[in-house]
Amino acid sequence: MIGQDKERIDVIDKVLGRPVFAGDMKKEGSLFAVVYRSERPHAWIRGIDVRKVTAQPGVVRIITAADIPGQNRIGAIKKDQPCLAEDKVRYIGEPILIIVGETEEAARTALRFVEVDYDDIESIHDPFMAERSSTLIHQSSNLLSHRKVIKGDIDKGFAESDVIVEHTYRTTWLDHGFMETEAGIAYLDDRGRIVVLSSTQNIHYKMKEISRVLGIPEDQVRVVQATTGGGFGGKLDVTVELFLALAVHYTKKPVMMRFTREESFLSNTKRHPLYIEYKTGAKKDGSLQAVKVNIIGDTGPYISYGETVCLRAAVHSTGPYEVPNVYTDSRMFYTNNPVCGAMRGFGVPQLAFAHESQMDEIARVLTMDPLHIRMKNGLRKGSRTATSQVLYHSAGLLDTLRKIEPLWKARKKKNDGTGFGLGCMYYGCGNTGISNPSRCHLRLTEDGKIAFHSGVCEIGQGSDTILLQILLETLKIDENDVVLVRGDTDTSSDVGSTSASRQTYISGRAVYEAARSCRAFLERKGYYQGRSLADIYPEAQSEQNLIFDGFFDPPTTKLNMETSEGTPYATYAFATHMTEVSVDEKTGTCSVKKVYASHDVGKAVNPRLVKGQIYGGIAMGVGFALMEEFIPEKSGSLDNYYMATSMDMPDVEVFIVEDEEPTGPFGAKGVGEPALIPQAASIMNAIQDAVGVRPFQLPCHIERLKKLIEEKKE
Amino acid sequence: MLPEFASVIPESKERALACLTSLENVKVFAGGTDLLVKMRRGESWSHIVDITHIHDLKGISAYDGLIKIGAISTHGEINQDHIISEMSPSLSRACGWVGSPAIRNMGTIGGNLVNASPAADSLAPLLIHDAHVVLESKDGVRRMKLENFIIAPYKTAIRPNEILAFIELRGLPGYREGYIRVTKRATWAISRLSIAWAIQEQDGLYKDIKVAIGSCTPMPFRPRNVEESLQGKEKNNHTIQAAIEEILDEIKKISGIRPSFAYKMPVVKALLGEILTG
Repeated sequence: MIGQDKERIDVIDKVLGRPVFAGDMKKEGSLFAVVYRSERPHAWIRGIDVRKVTAQPGVVRIITAADIPGQNRIGAIKKDQPCLAEDKVRYIGEPILIIVGETEEAARTALRFVEVDYDDIESIHDPFMAERSSTLIHQSSNLLSHRKVIKGDIDKGFAESDVIVEHTYRTTWLDHGFMETEAGIAYLDDRGRIVVLSSTQNIHYKMKEISRVLGIPEDQVRVVQATTGGGFGGKLDVTVELFLALAVHYTKKPVMMRFTREESFLSNTKRHPLYIEYKTGAKKDGSLQAVKVNIIGDTGPYISYGETVCLRAAVHSTGPYEVPNVYTDSRMFYTNNPVCGAMRGFGVPQLAFAHESQMDEIARVLTMDPLHIRMKNGLRKGSRTATSQVLYHSAGLLDTLRKIEPLWKARKKKNDGTGFGLGCMYYGCGNTGISNPSRCHLRLTEDGKIAFHSGVCEIGQGSDTILLQILLETLKIDENDVVLVRGDTDTSSDVGSTSASRQTYISGRAVYEAARSCRAFLERKGYYQGRSLADIYPEAQSEQNLIFDGFFDPPTTKLNMETSEGTPYATYAFATHMTEVSVDEKTGTCSVKKVYASHDVGKAVNPRLVKGQIYGGIAMGVGFALMEEFIPEKSGSLDNYYMATSMDMPDVEVFIVEDEEPTGPFGAKGVGEPALIPQAASIMNAIQDAVGVRPFQLPCHIERLKKLIEEKKE
Repeated sequence: MLPEFASVIPESKERALACLTSLENVKVFAGGTDLLVKMRRGESWSHIVDITHIHDLKGISAYDGLIKIGAISTHGEINQDHIISEMSPSLSRACGWVGSPAIRNMGTIGGNLVNASPAADSLAPLLIHDAHVVLESKDGVRRMKLENFIIAPYKTAIRPNEILAFIELRGLPGYREGYIRVTKRATWAISRLSIAWAIQEQDGLYKDIKVAIGSCTPMPFRPRNVEESLQGKEKNNHTIQAAIEEILDEIKKISGIRPSFAYKMPVVKALLGEILTG
């Protein structure tokens, strides 16, 4: 089972169009809810007039902040964001009220009749302004978070360096662009509990938020994951769930919601734009001596995952290299721009763009080979990371480079516009320096099956298949004897979010633990000698041994608040991408021709699914590098927000390195985010190789690239 | 969600024209790839006349060097048509790049011209072929040069009771013809700029040149005085560079200096250099 290209368990259903996605769900007599959103970036709400709304046909109920029975505060990390705005709005798109209509049409039409009396406040649209302005977005400072990573003596490091390279890098907002927009349906079950089915990456978090906002016990809420059409971090925060729950609470009827693409663009969290000042010092032989980084981020008006990105970006700021002296400042400011949150990589793809550009620039100054300088400095077993964590196991960066090395040496420019670039990365699997456990329950059923209770949200990446493979391998049981019971808060325990490349590693290990305990029991009962599960069941029942639990929490330590010293992650994934581009100097068009992607995944439980993640990550990386740019108030839909198409996609060849992680299930780590992280960086290095210009701003779209080419001519 | 409207699907041109005359607040539907987007954004009409089932408006034919394209020919049909690929390769290519496959299969050339987006891919090729549009109403038929038909971005000379029935253009045998466009991604993109050209050369001299540039000026345009001045000139680097400078000046004269020109001017320059050199 492990290491086999097992077909995804949902593949036949998906191909036949059978799964019911959140937006497709229907229930007899459903009402439809819509959200009225702020049109102002920063304003006091002086009054809300809904008299004309209530006069509209088909309007069932209007819900404002005043109607919220529990706490009107939500947030994945800290509870700072109102579910519905109270006296103040802080961004364009902030929810103000809910209209529940008999039909979608009635509800949407009624939206046009809401009148809000705003009293504008000076709005802040730039983190540098946020730092200086006396206008406060919340009660205290506009600085959300300031984290540092300090190792060694930075001044000594630069003093002992022979060369120093210093540049500033900028990235911008991105939208996740998941295929399925936010959607869900909710109703009261026959016990009067609120049931919400939605497109989501984490059911238990949402159950808890609903319980708090409605002021009802958690056992009065059930959240079920509908078949979900992509997430990429954008379905970690609450999207439709609270609005649905409130609507059901007040109408007692089934209610559905479905965001239009425009609404999704307006309301969903974005990737954090980061401003990165980066200074690298090295000896003549290429050995890195010092890295000093100053990161300024724009998190929008609410926290979401802003603190997470602030810290994770800092922790990963040196890239996968051993640097004796490090000083990184990472600050995240509130603004009145869109709320930024989780998006594939939590700030690390932005940093990879910076540190990989720096590595090439250092190599260029020293006339060293870009692969050689990475080999020389790369993290390996025994290395100390920027947080002074010693890597004892599973540090396969150099092996990923070795897979690429022959191709790198054999590279040949076909014509003037051809260029080759490298990008390396490392990425901590799981949440940063905090406990983030997962659980699994296996249950022996009366009809002789193993019910596999999983709270893991499958969002298209393949976790159901991977976890099943781990279960089948450990339990030595036939697939037909397993019933997967998944994605339902009623039947599973909290496993944490599908994010941070953590499900294969953490939930996989929890499954492994449960399966081991179940296996020991079945061994005692003679299952492997031929007794059937149905035969074993009565004994198991009388012994009260029907349920087998698995638990895993990766061993991490809380990071020092001043220096971030500690063990933020139990394990890291490593990767190297080599990219070939072709740049048309006339138009500034860069097309990505070929990518060799080499990933240390610990153990590929399912190599085909690993490759699937990598192909998807590269597609996203091409968009991040060359075209995706969310401009607040301008980017309204996919009409003017360009994501890569299949025609922009290069050929990809994947190399899998398996430096097994002892704490992972069968040695496995994660690959979800690593697949994306080095891609944009390697494209930028390839552009520099092709036309001799260095992009410092993403996306490097045709106009920016042409400008750089023209400037070089002058 | 769309605003409410009543729709008519006439099967003859006469019936369609009658609808346009008799109905209030009426709009022609010729594929809907622009119209439905507008309607979804809130623009509304009481009546929609769907002309895509009218047989007389379909089809592509050629007689004596004159190509006639029925207005409800889709971009996909034009792209696939042998007459077009032989007699107007630039239009064939341009129609193959419009929007996405779905848009090319629904959107029509007539609709494209009446919508009159400055970034429409079909415009530059039609201009170098000196295309005419034929407008019909109950009152009669008007034949008009495409350049005169489009008055301004998204504004044409069509009257509310008229239908754009077909488009006429002349093939350019003996010319080297092409179309190029620049976009922010490989496909499914609006042209950032585009150039259509047809060039006739003889013994190292330019005999005749037709160039149309899209997305630089409010409407795609032909630098006719440059075209004329090149006639009979020797094809060399000096002539080419001088001509390009003149064209760039012409663009700036029409549009003024725009922020986007920082990008567009060097690109137009480089592409024209390649096109004129051949």
